[in-house]
Amino acid sequence: MARHPELPVYRPDIYSPQAILDPYPHYASLRELGPVVWLPRHKIYALPRYAECKAVLLDDRTFVSGDGVALNAIANRLSRGTTLNSDGEDHARRRALVAHRLTPRALRAMKDVVDRQAAEIVDAAVARRTVDGVEVAAALPAAVVPDLVGWPAEGRENLLRWGAATFDILGPLNGQAVQAIPAGLGMARFAHTVAKRRKVLPGSMGDDLLRAADAGELAHAECPALMIDYLAPSLDTTLSAIASALHLFATHPGQWQLLKDDPGLIPNAVNEIVRFESPLRAFSRKVARDTEVAGTALPAGSRVLVLYASANRDAHAWDNPDTFDIRRDAARQLGFGYGTHGCAGQGLARLETQAMLRALVARVDRIEPAGPPEWAQNNIIHRLGRLPIELIPA
Amino acid sequence: MKISADYDRCEGHGLCAEQAPAIFELDDNAELVHHFEGADIPPEQLAAARAAVTSCPVAALRETP
Repeated sequence: MARHPELPVYRPDIYSPQAILDPYPHYASLRELGPVVWLPRHKIYALPRYAECKAVLLDDRTFVSGDGVALNAIANRLSRGTTLNSDGEDHARRRALVAHRLTPRALRAMKDVVDRQAAEIVDAAVARRTVDGVEVAAALPAAVVPDLVGWPAEGRENLLRWGAATFDILGPLNGQAVQAIPAGLGMARFAHTVAKRRKVLPGSMGDDLLRAADAGELAHAECPALMIDYLAPSLDTTLSAIASALHLFATHPGQWQLLKDDPGLIPNAVNEIVRFESPLRAFSRKVARDTEVAGTALPAGSRVLVLYASANRDAHAWDNPDTFDIRRDAARQLGFGYGTHGCAGQGLARLETQAMLRALVARVDRIEPAGPPEWAQNNIIHRLGRLPIELIPA
Repeated sequence: MKISADYDRCEGHGLCAEQAPAIFELDDNAELVHHFEGADIPPEQLAAARAAVTSCPVAALRETP
């Protein structure tokens, strides 16, 4: 592939097991090299800085999703038919079907129920006092999402593992992705069965989707992929944000005190958590026509890697980007993506994470580390795998 | 400077109203209300208005001359 002669090149594998656990030094090196950096191992132009990531996400005619957003061709073929992998009118139609019940507007009715569930989860955790923060973080998404989507009771025990695998496959085709293929196919098979046998819960979003297909608004064959659109991203990602919140407030007691003193900071704290420990590392886009990014010519057919997690730590866009501070204005962070493909579930993710923080602030005096945290291995999702903490009751 | 709002795109996330409450609010149905629709943004509101544009998660707000 012809490349700009002065184009910076970064040879280390940013998806090696070590880099997955600690990606930030790699992102810092990439940002230092320039706005566009060639990754020879993955044959992709990395965009490590905020401005270029945002510009590319906004220009969805030039930087398209319809040929996939993964780093390997197999996953890009397998994920055809999803909202994630579509452009223009196809995307708008699918997104409208998937997202209309996920908008903050539609979710307002759920707020009290979610607050109550969060309170019960935190009460139970405080009673145990020393807990794995990852288990606490998993509880609310597990209580809220499967019912909302309408997933039948059978198979729920697999959802988190299947969802994580579905993401893992979207990375480069490394050992990590290959290992995830059976579980990813498990999710796909189950979604087909659920759609075909109409096993969704009545009144759920999945039920809506099947009814829309009955009414001719979409083909029945489109339903399984759209069910995966609902399910796969709705558990691990929010779990990541809530677990990171627990970890960050355990290790930044001054920030926790700020939140205790002014719970009005909670909505922005969620933005700052997602900025600081972005649950999604990166997705790719295909370049649809010859174009240029920050002076670098990119040929049609090449791919760019939009590094959300790096953009959110870019010193060109943020003062002291490696400092966790819930008072900074973090609303423009890119952790949920941006623009046409911006996370359709971000309203639900914010609702759940804010509910957990409200419940914690009311019941917990301090969060203290109770052992070393461990990060999980996943090509796409950045999240804790284990987080021993002690919740000191208020 | 004016700000145009794409009401079809808006999903009611409300980040604009947090950034620039004098310009944007969500009504009781969480529908966007733009107090300066088609009008110039007052100079003292420019910074807040730009922050609202950059924080919209679905890029439903645009600066126009």
